[in-house]
Amino acid sequence: MFSPQPMKHVLLQVMTEDLPQVSLILAELQVFGPDYRPFHDSQYRSIPGQRFRELYHRAVSRLQKISGHVRIGSQVALNELHVVREDELEETDRWLGETWDRCSTFEENLRHQSEEQQLLDQLEQALGNFGELNIDLGLLQGERMFLDIRLGMIPRTHVGQLKEAIALANYLLFPYLEHDEMVHVIVVGPKGERERELGSVLDTAGFRPLTIPVELQGEPSRVRIELQKRRLALKQASNREREIARQFASEIRERLEECQRTLVMAEPFVRLDTAVRTGGYTSVISGWIPARDVRRTERALVAGLSNPLHIEVRNPLPEERPLVPSYMPDNRLMAPFATLVKQYGIPRYGEVDPTAIFAVTFILMFGMMFGDVGHGLTIALAAWLARRKLKSFTLFTICIGFSAALFGIFYGSLFGYEGLFHALWLPPLSDPLYMLSVALMWGIGFLLLISFVSIYNRFIQGDLTRAIFASNGVVSTLLYASLLYGIYNLYREGSFGVPAASVSILALAVVLAYKLTETQASAGERMLVAVVETFETITGYISNTLSFLRVAAFSLNHVALAIAVFTLADMMNSTQGQVLMVILGNLFILILEGAIVTIQALRLEYYEGFSRFYSGDGREFKPLRLNLGGTP
Amino acid sequence: MPSPAPHTYLKTRAALLAKQLFSPERLQQLLESSLDTLYQEFGMESLAVLPGAESAINRAVERALMHTLMQELGVLLRPLAGEGRDILMHWARKFELYNLKALIRGKLQGHSFADVEQNLFDLPALISLPHDQLLRTENVLELLRQLEQGHYADIARQARQVYEEKNESFSLDAAIDRSYYLGLLRRIRRIGEADRSALHSLVGTLIDQQNLGWLLRYRFNYGLAPSETYYLLVPFGHHLHRDRLLDLVNLETFPQVIEALPGRLSEPLAGVGDLLDLEWRLERITAAQAHHDVRFSASAVTRSLAYLVLREMDLKHLYAILQGKVLGFTEQTIRSALGGTPVKAELRDNGAVDV
Repeated sequence: MFSPQPMKHVLLQVMTEDLPQVSLILAELQVFGPDYRPFHDSQYRSIPGQRFRELYHRAVSRLQKISGHVRIGSQVALNELHVVREDELEETDRWLGETWDRCSTFEENLRHQSEEQQLLDQLEQALGNFGELNIDLGLLQGERMFLDIRLGMIPRTHVGQLKEAIALANYLLFPYLEHDEMVHVIVVGPKGERERELGSVLDTAGFRPLTIPVELQGEPSRVRIELQKRRLALKQASNREREIARQFASEIRERLEECQRTLVMAEPFVRLDTAVRTGGYTSVISGWIPARDVRRTERALVAGLSNPLHIEVRNPLPEERPLVPSYMPDNRLMAPFATLVKQYGIPRYGEVDPTAIFAVTFILMFGMMFGDVGHGLTIALAAWLARRKLKSFTLFTICIGFSAALFGIFYGSLFGYEGLFHALWLPPLSDPLYMLSVALMWGIGFLLLISFVSIYNRFIQGDLTRAIFASNGVVSTLLYASLLYGIYNLYREGSFGVPAASVSILALAVVLAYKLTETQASAGERMLVAVVETFETITGYISNTLSFLRVAAFSLNHVALAIAVFTLADMMNSTQGQVLMVILGNLFILILEGAIVTIQALRLEYYEGFSRFYSGDGREFKPLRLNLGGTP
Repeated sequence: MPSPAPHTYLKTRAALLAKQLFSPERLQQLLESSLDTLYQEFGMESLAVLPGAESAINRAVERALMHTLMQELGVLLRPLAGEGRDILMHWARKFELYNLKALIRGKLQGHSFADVEQNLFDLPALISLPHDQLLRTENVLELLRQLEQGHYADIARQARQVYEEKNESFSLDAAIDRSYYLGLLRRIRRIGEADRSALHSLVGTLIDQQNLGWLLRYRFNYGLAPSETYYLLVPFGHHLHRDRLLDLVNLETFPQVIEALPGRLSEPLAGVGDLLDLEWRLERITAAQAHHDVRFSASAVTRSLAYLVLREMDLKHLYAILQGKVLGFTEQTIRSALGGTPVKAELRDNGAVDV
């Protein structure tokens, strides 16, 4: 329950021609995680399937891009499994390439049409603006004898510098209309040898010339009609393009799904990657298998292959431990908790898997902070009703709901009403100091448990020095315990006590000495770092312990919020108003406080818990499998 | 007003990091060291036994050095928040833009996926483009469509113009660089007064270095007209402001431009013969400003940025030395590639530079 599954390292020796078949069998079994480390046997040097991998990756990329245009099933149904050979993959890739070319052309055409659409919008706007310009518009178009006049648009950010730049070529720039990121400008200058120079600067500045409709100087209404005609033609062209794309999509959908199936079956061999080495007729595949599945894998391979094979199985070597993948349980109850644990990191192989500790402590802390029968049952009911959306988190939400309801029974609270039934323990606000001491004791217990787990993990990793001397090791836990004992003495008897003081000082000296030896720096810096880190160890324990006071604080806060809601309800004149206030207030508590309590409980788990014992830098066991969840 | 605690911490960190910057003597010593010694000294022992071609080793060296720089950037970013953090991150985006240029140029010239990928820096996710997605585009238009949908839409527009009309990629490079420096300046304008002026003079020096190199190259190597040259510059330098640049682009010869520079630049650049020499000298001027800022600037962000600028220069030098040694060049050849015997440039009290 607390440790990942024991793993075995396996080395499969098979005939090279059987490699695709082996990968398919392993993917069906879902128990083989490839080991990608370099393989030091001179007989097996080369990595097979380079071309196959290239084809696969290109084909997948193409399929993903095409599926942006052509909707294909999110679940792949494999009626029959077969080994995908290189020529089949090559044909799939070629067809996908041709298909993507077509889709890409559609994209580019639509892009041009959208650009044309924007241009028409700009022209229409310009038309309105020209109407307000008190000039002869005939001057702005056609060839002039002495003047070079250009109309166009440039990005807003380029206006200032372009104006200065073209002034060097004796041209002037006048902005006359601003539109989103683009500015409409008129550029005027003398005709002559610098026209080409101007053209070059304008190109570099992203100048897009605007054609003024010839009719503009005549009747703006006719121009508008002209623009409307262009817009209509554009819309028709765009609809035609979309219709062609739609037809194309329906024509190719079936073949596309076939390609998807081919790629799903080709993927296991690709994923083996450097875990396979070949030496001609024979090849080796190295990887990790959960110990309980070794026999099953061997039987399936023997039954599925026509050629003989050889399997070498061994336990992980001590120096390999950081590389061994950790098998994370995937049972339904633990799955949501495992997801939250993975947000922090994966346990190293052999380390305590914190999922169970996390699940129990999180549920308890949430319940304690949010104890109310009504609120708890509402959460559980809402989770059940929204189970399709919450998926694996349904059970998690139901658990925390029931926990809140259980603590509600302890506190005697139903939708904030106290006294409707007898509290099994006590209502939080009746003795806040007692609640705070309970939270403190919970925090101390939690931190001690976490420190023991941390020590255990380091022992398991063979890191004895850190297990004893480092932060959260034996010595610093002793320091924490002696400080707690001393403070308890101080509270009860008025003095810290000689035994507690002696142990504290001794442990402190050992921690400081360890920090001094551990720090790599000049003498002065080493002293500074060691003193600061030792001090930080003590303050860390104190602040982390006090951090757990929030468990009680939120239970008090919950009651206080309910009182506030009832006070507001009492201020209402009508019964309907009071009922409405109570309902809305309870909803407010459920949503806002519920979210805050969840975050606070997570924070306590991650920051006060995981950061102490859990390196989270392990590797998750990811077995080869057939990816049936849609586009590879 | 920046809060004092993180800024004091940042200044201390920058000062500690600055101790590892190369002095001219240290650079000389590196030049004289053997390849194995260098690998050992910079924690690249694994490269000594790396099988494969020289290009693979050079690539591994480059990755290791980039990793070092990014780690140090991470250290400096940690205590920073807000605009200060944004400025340091934007500075690091230059490497992302190198990648962007390589990607666009690679696609314009029809290079393969593998060829382009080899020329990209490995960057942390914080500042990295979605390379894989861009690399897997199958032609230039597809790449441009991808870029048009993201953060670099304006650059994509420019690139489309280069592709469809002009096919001169240097204007695209200039557009990318301009957008980078203008972004940096925009962030500096938003930062608190305590940091602004110091940052402006450091970044202005960097811009001067770029502007002068571009100006001379565009005018006299590519033969661009004054107006086009001016358009491609960033008119917000430290010594080379808008008016000065407008004057300079109108000059007809390389020596005329050098003579017309303001005193603080013309003095250290006197007698410069070619663009390469000019770039080395400009780099020394920037180094002098940055060294001064690392030691004396009252702004912690400026000190950090100055450190990063210097560290990047050092790592480039180190890379050149390692690359030269991997390829079996003589010490003399490597020294010439570094711009001659290492010397230290000093910023005088009046702002002038001895190079």
